[in-house]
Amino acid sequence: MTDTVLAVPHAVPRRALPFRLRAAEPWLYLVPALAVLVIWTYVPLLKAFELSFYQWNMLPRSQPRYVGFDNYANLLTLPDMRRAVVNTVLYTLGLLPLSVGVPLAVALLTASLKGPMRNVYRALIFVPMIVAPIVAAIVWRWLLNEDHGLVNAWLRGLGFDAVGFLRDPQVALWTLVWITGWKLIGFSTLLFAAADSAISPSYVEAARMDGARPWQILRDIRLPLLSPTILLLTMMTILFGAQWSFVYINALTGGGPLGSTTNVYYLMWEYGFMTMSAGWSTAAGVLVFLVFGFIALACLALMKRLAVYDE
Amino acid sequence: MTNNDRLTRLSAHAVMVALSALALFPVYWMVQTSFRPPNEIFSTSFWPSAPTLDNYRDVMAAMPILAILWNTFVMATATTLAQVATGLLAAWALVRWRFPGGRLAHSLIALSWLVPFQVVMIPNYVLATKLGLLDSLAGLVIPNAAAAFAVLVLYNAMRGFPREVVEAARMDGAGSLRTLLEVVIPNLRAPLASIAILCFISAWNDYFWPLLLIRKIENSVVQIGLQFFMTQEGNDWGLLMAAATLASLPILGIYLALQRQVVESFMKSGIR
Repeated sequence: MTDTVLAVPHAVPRRALPFRLRAAEPWLYLVPALAVLVIWTYVPLLKAFELSFYQWNMLPRSQPRYVGFDNYANLLTLPDMRRAVVNTVLYTLGLLPLSVGVPLAVALLTASLKGPMRNVYRALIFVPMIVAPIVAAIVWRWLLNEDHGLVNAWLRGLGFDAVGFLRDPQVALWTLVWITGWKLIGFSTLLFAAADSAISPSYVEAARMDGARPWQILRDIRLPLLSPTILLLTMMTILFGAQWSFVYINALTGGGPLGSTTNVYYLMWEYGFMTMSAGWSTAAGVLVFLVFGFIALACLALMKRLAVYDE
Repeated sequence: MTNNDRLTRLSAHAVMVALSALALFPVYWMVQTSFRPPNEIFSTSFWPSAPTLDNYRDVMAAMPILAILWNTFVMATATTLAQVATGLLAAWALVRWRFPGGRLAHSLIALSWLVPFQVVMIPNYVLATKLGLLDSLAGLVIPNAAAAFAVLVLYNAMRGFPREVVEAARMDGAGSLRTLLEVVIPNLRAPLASIAILCFISAWNDYFWPLLLIRKIENSVVQIGLQFFMTQEGNDWGLLMAAATLASLPILGIYLALQRQVVESFMKSGIR
């Protein structure tokens, strides 16, 4: 009740709203955004959890049938799931060099660039980020086409055999990793470059006065101060890398050849809208959400401990 | 300048030129293929010897691409306006008042990006069917009418806004809505523009939800039109590249006009 007493003098100059309405005021502003998120994200999340205990083919007239933990038990014993999980890990590991490693190296190597060319490069390397994923899929499908694509024409010109980039089960997953990463390299490079140019030159100057060599400056000053960006991009890649690949799997390989490019997100899609088993799809979804949610919390905790900030 | 410095700078240019080529070449290859006549499609020359617009004519004959581009434009604009509006209102509530439940609301909004779309797609699909939203543009916009990142970016922008100005407006008798509309929003042009750009581009490029929702090609948006086209005319490369080029033109146009703002808004607001 002390709140009311304190609130009164505060509110004097305003048109006096009845007290109860005033308490509701912030919620009036929050309702549109919260309603959308609750109706289309949180309630569906609970609904997915519920559906994961049912067998249902999603046809309008059919009734969901309660099956307890059967969906989970089936998922965990089927080879599909195991392969999807292994592939998800491969996608993530494959993406890390493209979303973190190469961009970091490029940003460090090109930090000395100044002047107008720097802005030109910035503008050019960012382009893949705004290209629609499906356009990227179509263009790379053309470039990497086995019979007529430019890349294979070059390879043949150099005396190599043509590669079935999307047809060879040994290669297809890495092709999709490459296309996913192609969109990110430039963007990550710009993030690292921005973080690197924000490092106060006085640190580097002071170290140089003390006789530090360039690689010592890199190891002891620049890398530690870049650690928040490194950790952020690593975390984003781990959390979302497999999701970013989804478009390319769906548009280019359909999970094949021989299931070699499927991942957990594509598996949910397949269960949900191809074999029409809502229970399996949502059970896989719940497992994925729990695992990635746990990873997200762990990452955030790790970031707090490991990142070095310039105070 | 020492020799060593010059070498460093030269190699920096070399790295950047290579990366730029890697980024741009696929886009260039798409555009030049779209101008090739059928007998030159498989040539590896860098530019067609007899460029033609035939592929564009054929795309327009094969699919209502202009209607599809218009659908996409309407959908992306409506989504952007909705996300900006809901974002402004929610951010203002969280900045303007401290109130019980405020932190919870903030966390609910912030954590929503952790929920992968694939996990909620079936319940969403069922709900959209029940509401009669299948195959409609409204169905594409409504579930995306609020975005966590829009709320959070505007929240941070508003927090930097001087409190004294808000207080002064209140002393003048302005209600909270008038303060938002007349005092806060006019001073948020830069973050608003940056969010609008990001919302528009991601709505334009969205693929997954339209893929679930849209059935008929004339109701579709351009990403789905392309997917459709790829399955139908899978190996007519000239046609496909012309369609892909048309689909990319609006976004590339925005980028040409607002390059610096686009890059900055992506860098400020993260990847998703």
